[in-house]
Amino acid sequence: MSVGKGCQRPRFFVFLCFFVVVLCVRGISNQTPGRVSKAVEQVGCGFSRGSSVYRTIDINHGARRLTVAEGQSVFEALKGEGIFLPSVCGGRGLCGRCRLRVFNGDWPITPAEQRKCTADELTEGIRLGCQLPVNADVSIEIPEELFATKQFRGTIEAISNLTHDIKHLRIRLSEPERIEFTPGQHIELAVPVYAGSPKPVSRAYSLASTPGCDRGIELMIRFVPGGIASTWVFTVLKVGDELSFNGPYGSFGLSRSDREMIWVAGGSGMSPFWSMIRHMKQIGLGRECTYFFGAVQRRDLFLLDEFRRLEDELDWFSFVPALSAPAAEDNWSGQTGLITEVLERRTIGENCEAYLCGSPGMIGAAVKVLRSHGITEDRTFYDEFE
Amino acid sequence: MDMDGMPDEDSLIERMAPGVLSRDGFHCADRRQLDAILQADAAAERASALTHEAIGRRLEQILQAAVAALGRPVEVAGALTACYHESMGRIPCPWGECGLFAKGEVELTDTRNNKTVRFTPLSVHMIYRHGFYQGPGSRYRIEPTEIVELLDIKPDEG
Repeated sequence: MSVGKGCQRPRFFVFLCFFVVVLCVRGISNQTPGRVSKAVEQVGCGFSRGSSVYRTIDINHGARRLTVAEGQSVFEALKGEGIFLPSVCGGRGLCGRCRLRVFNGDWPITPAEQRKCTADELTEGIRLGCQLPVNADVSIEIPEELFATKQFRGTIEAISNLTHDIKHLRIRLSEPERIEFTPGQHIELAVPVYAGSPKPVSRAYSLASTPGCDRGIELMIRFVPGGIASTWVFTVLKVGDELSFNGPYGSFGLSRSDREMIWVAGGSGMSPFWSMIRHMKQIGLGRECTYFFGAVQRRDLFLLDEFRRLEDELDWFSFVPALSAPAAEDNWSGQTGLITEVLERRTIGENCEAYLCGSPGMIGAAVKVLRSHGITEDRTFYDEFE
Repeated sequence: MDMDGMPDEDSLIERMAPGVLSRDGFHCADRRQLDAILQADAAAERASALTHEAIGRRLEQILQAAVAALGRPVEVAGALTACYHESMGRIPCPWGECGLFAKGEVELTDTRNNKTVRFTPLSVHMIYRHGFYQGPGSRYRIEPTEIVELLDIKPDEG
């Protein structure tokens, strides 16, 4: 063996290593900063590895680029990469919440999309992620906030009754241990298979806790007769049980203005406002605020003492609970009537902002009253029970 | 789905099963049972000289009155009161092509005897659109003859 040949072998090995490193770096650089997808060999057109064919999903004009296997929906593919489109039907084309905009391709419009999207939306490229098969490279747009959604795991730390049909849950987070959200946002709670409910589902619930709450979240869940999720919460879930949820979602929350606020809620519509008021107190945000809370009877009211204490502590905050049909034994001396009637009797300044959370019926009626007081659409924010 | 966007039989029955759209389902285990329920209820409608559209329309009026009362019992006809209990969330129709319906329920009470009938926005829709009153044993099963009698719906309303 000559010295010359002996010297060429390491040189070739170094070149080979350099070539491999370049290939790897090229692959990684095509991914989102800080996140490497499962399989990367080629971007821009499909490629195969073993028996799987891979495609590229470009999100928000290159903000994220994923390489995912064919044979699944875009909804499932994004979920597999940690991007959770909203959904309460689990991707079965029933709820219409997993909307996104598609910029390329020619996927046939499915019957589910015809039902859930308007003709204008379809013309603009709005589609349902659960109905789009991954069978070609695709460029999509999703709300920016969805990049911040994560899957969380936690343990039930406490369950208590707020009323005869509303429970308060405190969940200690285990992975990740903290959640960042703004008061008014919601999560989607994963409901596993349990006796009488053979398929997992998820349901949206507003966060009742404050962003600074250490390693935990709070939810308020009202019992729905025949409801899959609330039956699970009321009859199966117990302290120590593990669960998971995705989130946070939604844009309902305090505006950046300093206008006086009117809050209107009923039932478990309390959740976002319980989060907001405590958050405002924590950060010293003293905006004038009157909170109208409607219930039928005394047994439907909750957190009264807590709100009374907040009223005493915060000179900018007023709480107005009202009963629409108090029972004789309620001995109720407070406001009576529908919460919208109570609202109508009050003097409301035109410059107020209104925040509403409750049933579509309550929100519709409250909006009418607010309009009659001169509160315009752009100053009315609501979180309808979806 | 078939060409018209209607679900095939398997999809429809699957969506009616417990735990799919609601915990207890629609009490309709298979296509044969669905056909039997639809035919029996259609026969009852014919015996009353009414249609499921007419019955559905009347229930919709009661639903709207109850929803507008925001949880306060409201008199809807004679000795009948309706109270809407709101719930969070919406539920799709098992037929699949009809949108989402609020999950609240109406409690319709005959104050003369305290007899109660419960129905939901989805129940009203399924009666009006599909002639489906749900299977025996369902919380929201409505007997066509009983509701016609209770609400005193006349044939000319059809």
